[in-house]
Amino acid sequence: MSIIIIASDTAEIEHSIAQKVAAAMDYQLLDRRILEDTAKKYQIDPGKLADAMKTTPSLFKSLSSGQWRYLLACVEAHVLDRLLADKIVCCGLSAHLYVTGVSHALNVRILSGDDSQSEKERENRLQQRKKWSMAAYNEDETELSRYDLVINLDQIDPAEAVKTITGAAGYRKFQVMTYSMKCLSDLALAARVNVALLKTMTDISVQARDGSVIVSTKAGNRQKRKKVETIKELAGKVEGVRYVEVHVKKNLLGVTTG
Amino acid sequence: MCIITISRGSYSMGKAVAQQVAQRLNYQLISREVLLDACSRFNISEIKLEKAIHDAPGILERYRHSKQSYIAYIRSSLMERIADDNVVYHGLAGHLLLKGIGHVLKVRINADMEKRIRIVMERDQIPADAARQRIQEDDNQRRKWTHSLYGQDPMDASLYDLTICIDKLSVDHAVDFICQAAATDGFKSTEKNLQKAKDMAVACRVKAALVDEFPHIGVTCEYGNVLIYIKGRDPMNAKLSKKLAHVREATAGIFHVETHAGSELPADAV
Repeated sequence: MSIIIIASDTAEIEHSIAQKVAAAMDYQLLDRRILEDTAKKYQIDPGKLADAMKTTPSLFKSLSSGQWRYLLACVEAHVLDRLLADKIVCCGLSAHLYVTGVSHALNVRILSGDDSQSEKERENRLQQRKKWSMAAYNEDETELSRYDLVINLDQIDPAEAVKTITGAAGYRKFQVMTYSMKCLSDLALAARVNVALLKTMTDISVQARDGSVIVSTKAGNRQKRKKVETIKELAGKVEGVRYVEVHVKKNLLGVTTG
Repeated sequence: MCIITISRGSYSMGKAVAQQVAQRLNYQLISREVLLDACSRFNISEIKLEKAIHDAPGILERYRHSKQSYIAYIRSSLMERIADDNVVYHGLAGHLLLKGIGHVLKVRINADMEKRIRIVMERDQIPADAARQRIQEDDNQRRKWTHSLYGQDPMDASLYDLTICIDKLSVDHAVDFICQAAATDGFKSTEKNLQKAKDMAVACRVKAALVDEFPHIGVTCEYGNVLIYIKGRDPMNAKLSKKLAHVREATAGIFHVETHAGSELPADAV
């Protein structure tokens, strides 16, 4: 019983391996198909949602930075809620970037070993993904150390890769434990609060622990009190939140005002 | 039947993994032996060689090319050692030195930074900050080294077939995965692979013999036919011809030698 998160430099390979692992372990597959449900749940345009998963905002695009962050927060919250069900193989949703500190999540990266692409094309694609992951989560998804296992299909057969992943998922360290489940619940709660706040504001960062939520934000002296009240009100309405603490930084000089 | 290279950061338990893999598969375990071979074959002090494979080249060394020479010696010695197959090599840069040979399983072992820090703290009795700094300096040095000599980042996943993080996964798990992968068809030593290794060993021997005087040459070998690639336009200068005649006499496995001047070095040239 664990969560297996599969990422790859090629979307097709990522999906194909995830499908095979899910079938081999009789796990549920969580992939991009849930984006439609996410769009319905948060009443957003599914096209924009899919676009946000692969591009970064810029002055020349219709998607603003605030909207982009909100869309990503919606995906994150929805995925984390679904992962609470356990026995899931997740791919195509960048979960490896936000499911952190959860010991029963096995993070795997598959390298396609695709000869048809030139070195330059491969490098461009990696740089694009690196840029996206840095902008979205301040994490470099190409960094090896963030994965438990990286398998290069250049010489390793996909069937062998599936066998290795299913074998690893069976290890004791990837079994669900009360603490690891609590970590995941905390992440899911923080993500729900994030969605509630990002709908109307920016510069928000949320942490949750046992129903207590800490929100960090930026505001000028004049807006500070109002912003704190709004955050407390919005976050307090999210299911599972028992206590809200707000930390405000001055948005000009960066001085913490408590 | 294959060759396994295990690359790792310092204090990442790669050595333990290599030892257990070699034990389980009954393979020969090599690391330092390659250095010692190179020292005796090419008459160089061990300290110089060790420094060459540890530190990134300084500005002067970039012009003296001494590091290229040392690397050529080490590569040649490593090629001789792996000729018999069934080897686990956990010395430096195995994944780069043996690049191009089909039955080499290239493994990278990473460990959680905090775990590495704890190992250094316990071993050297130093505080966490000093341990962190030491590890980071070591990692940086390694990055610079690989970049300056091979133009690649050692943390580039595409250099390896398998990368395992020793954190949630243990040394035993890593050993399981490596042994499992080594048994697959992709890493079987076919006739073609063995011939390629043999040819590469010849190319490395030739390169090692020439590198001191001709640091910019590239060497390839196919079924004993050796091609020397020279960047300049004067292929048959007297010095090189004389040297080549000597190398041909002294090196086993060469049928024919040809020189190509003024062309780009092929990607598989050593």
